[in-house]
Amino acid sequence: MSDRHPILELVDVSMTFGGLKAVDHLDFTMHEGEIVGLIGPNGAGKTTIFNCVTQFYKEYEGTIRFGGEDGPVDLKSVPVTGVVQQGIARTFQNLELVGDLSIIDNVLIGGHTHFTTGIVSHLFRTPKARQEEREMRERAVEVLDFLGIAHLQDLYAAGQPYGILKKIEIARTLMARPRLIILDEPAAGLNDQETDELDALIYQIRERFETSILLIEHDMGLVMNICDRVCAINFGKFLAMDTPAKIQRNPLVQEAYLGKDDEE
Amino acid sequence: MADILRILFNSLQTGSTYALAALGIALIWKTSRTTNFAQGSIGTLNAYVAGILLLSWGWSIWLVALASLVTAFLTGILIDTFIIRPAAKVGAISKQIITLGLIMVIVGLIPLLFGVDPYRLPSFIPGASVDIAGATLRYNTVFVIAVSLGLMGFLFWFIQNTRWGLAIRVTAASETTAKLMGVPTRTVTMISWASAAMMGTLAALIVAPQASVNPNMLLDVQVSAFFAGVLGGFTTFAGPVIGSFIIAFARNSAAFYLSDIWGNVIVYSLILVFLYFKPYGLCGKKAVKKV
Amino acid sequence: MSDTPHASNGRSALLRVLRERPALQFVLLGAILLVFAVLPHLGLMRFSTMSIFAYTGIYTVVALGMNILLGFSGLISLGTAGFIGAGALGMGVFLQMGLPFELAALAVLVISGSLGALIGLFSLKVESIYLAIATLFIGEILRQIYTSVPIFGGEFISIGPVKLFGFLELNQILQQQRSVLYAIIILVLVAAMVLMHNLVKSRTGRALMAMSRSEHAAQAMGVSLLKYRLTAFITATVYATSGGILYALYFQNAPTRAWTLNISLLIIAMVVVGGFKSIIGTFLGAIIIYGLPNLLLKDLLGDISYVFSGALIIVVILFYPRGFVFVWQDIKRLFVTAKKRTGTEAPR
Repeated sequence: MSDRHPILELVDVSMTFGGLKAVDHLDFTMHEGEIVGLIGPNGAGKTTIFNCVTQFYKEYEGTIRFGGEDGPVDLKSVPVTGVVQQGIARTFQNLELVGDLSIIDNVLIGGHTHFTTGIVSHLFRTPKARQEEREMRERAVEVLDFLGIAHLQDLYAAGQPYGILKKIEIARTLMARPRLIILDEPAAGLNDQETDELDALIYQIRERFETSILLIEHDMGLVMNICDRVCAINFGKFLAMDTPAKIQRNPLVQEAYLGKDDEE
Repeated sequence: MADILRILFNSLQTGSTYALAALGIALIWKTSRTTNFAQGSIGTLNAYVAGILLLSWGWSIWLVALASLVTAFLTGILIDTFIIRPAAKVGAISKQIITLGLIMVIVGLIPLLFGVDPYRLPSFIPGASVDIAGATLRYNTVFVIAVSLGLMGFLFWFIQNTRWGLAIRVTAASETTAKLMGVPTRTVTMISWASAAMMGTLAALIVAPQASVNPNMLLDVQVSAFFAGVLGGFTTFAGPVIGSFIIAFARNSAAFYLSDIWGNVIVYSLILVFLYFKPYGLCGKKAVKKV
Repeated sequence: MSDTPHASNGRSALLRVLRERPALQFVLLGAILLVFAVLPHLGLMRFSTMSIFAYTGIYTVVALGMNILLGFSGLISLGTAGFIGAGALGMGVFLQMGLPFELAALAVLVISGSLGALIGLFSLKVESIYLAIATLFIGEILRQIYTSVPIFGGEFISIGPVKLFGFLELNQILQQQRSVLYAIIILVLVAAMVLMHNLVKSRTGRALMAMSRSEHAAQAMGVSLLKYRLTAFITATVYATSGGILYALYFQNAPTRAWTLNISLLIIAMVVVGGFKSIIGTFLGAIIIYGLPNLLLKDLLGDISYVFSGALIIVVILFYPRGFVFVWQDIKRLFVTAKKRTGTEAPR
């Protein structure tokens, strides 16, 4: 395991919001092909870490390195709109989909950076633009099919059930052909059956699309089931990182979640 | 010296009108989350009421002013109840568009209700003036400034020190929280619109003697009020007021020393440039958005 | 596949073709409008009516640009009238200087587009409330320039007959030539519609919508806010200026005092009432806001058009936020019985 390439490295990362340290000197490494879970009580700083990795927050201290195809890249040098081109795609806790676009159009947004035709070609609908649109659509249908929702492709995203919306978000990230997918609470709001589906789905994604996966999750069952390793944090500080079984038995982690045992 | 004093007196008066309008806009922005583009039009409409009462029944300016403030109060309540409240769930841009539609309705109604001729409204205190270091200071100007400042002072005091003022501040901070805490947000928005309408009307009444009552009388004040709010930042109440006086002074100075026609263009362009570098105005604060 | 009731095979086939190839809808509309060029010569329509349709066409072109801003990109501009004026008066100035028509048009578009780009840059820095005010101010400053700067002639610039392609001289006084001018407007209108359709159905259109609906997701997917804000504003400006150029072409006279905030508001009304993001809807909006009041209601109700438009905006936003063009969908739904799946189908 440890001699695989590191794909994401956080080195002494800290992030402060007006006096409050949301992330506190965090060190963390993830390897290619791993499924890693990030856990911690609410407010522990998990989403902040994601936002730093994806460069929505640029004011963090420390270094975040991504193992791009041509070697490690310091992500701070990449603008927030360039992160997806490096190979990182993410979902959002608040499901940022475009309600008044069809499902397939939402997915196509994920492929935005893969288009080569420009605005003028689109304006005049050149043969090249038409062909590229056709090809991208085919690719989008494949992704939707993989997620089992291809039959819904022409419906508006708005008004779809929550489980479907989550799948659309995942489809959109897959469309970007990422090397690392970051999932922000993928199981939130799903029922048991849907969570089991998600479980299998995440494995399939790694298999079929050859990506590494980093996820924040509160559903311990999911995390323990599918993650190769789990990183536990609290108050923005690193607690432990190990296999799920060992993390469960880690006293620091237990204390963070359950509180100190008050026995004399 | 005389020139500077004259510009000063003028700026205090026009600054007051801008401040009244800007405060109305800020109040509505904070409580209804709407940019009220129709602020000037509502004021104008009620100034017409004053005009027609004066013309038809010969009441004194004080009486018609009072009457128009009453109708302004009612106008504000009606607009909030029948148009703004039902639109609560609509997006921000759509709310702006509704107020644009409101402008069109009012501007279209005015000729139908009041005819096409402009109305005349006299000053509150006619004629008399005093000479200070070569500059004429009319008593009316003093009165108008005093009333405006007094009103704004009252407003600030009210918002800081009374229960209803607290209700307004809470609603302005977050309407959901306010509702959860039992604040009667419906009444708060009604009062806000009614107050804004009255302030706009007062601004119109002040401007009327020089400009006469016509559909576009407050367009200039409106634009200036928006710029004042932009300059001072809409997140506070004091900001728009400060911005108003700065703009009034800058405009009058530019008009006198630089160019009569292009004075205001110069000032506004400078503000736009300023805004590019300080998007939240002098006093505004940036809200940190969480992803 | 189709769940519309079949009246006859021919008609449903036509409807299906129209639904699947929206560009044909625009061509069909254009064809119908082109017929109006001929009708006055046959005594079936007044020439003034044809002019009203010309003006409606011009308004539609401008409103299409507004729709890109408002409907697709969630941005508001209150300075549209200033850009229409730039088109009309700019043409007046350049034509008086002796430039050929096409070159003048190009010059005007470039100047206007640059100003639009500046606004786009500005929009990135400030929140939407400030953007609206800034565009309001730009519109007002343009109006002041047009009425105060001597080069614009004070009240209006008289353009006189125009010469297209170097040889085709068209004088709007002559009725036959006026019909040709009208036809040109319609052709430009159809082209504008087709181009806009191409744009919004492509990656660019999707990016504009992503940028406005969920900025964070857009950025995470690599959509450059700078690029697409500029695109939105430049496109809207070019459309508005083109409307002005068409005005100069048809009326051959460019007034200085006409480009007021009221006009900008009417344009917004057309987009709101006709339908956000709907191209045909925009034309519908222009008909409702400008065409109908001038064709019909003026005799009945005098100049109630402004109140009418304003009230319509308010009513539509409160009850029909997507615009009147979607009334048809709701009416259809009353007649369709079985639904195969839940959810509304997005148009192609």
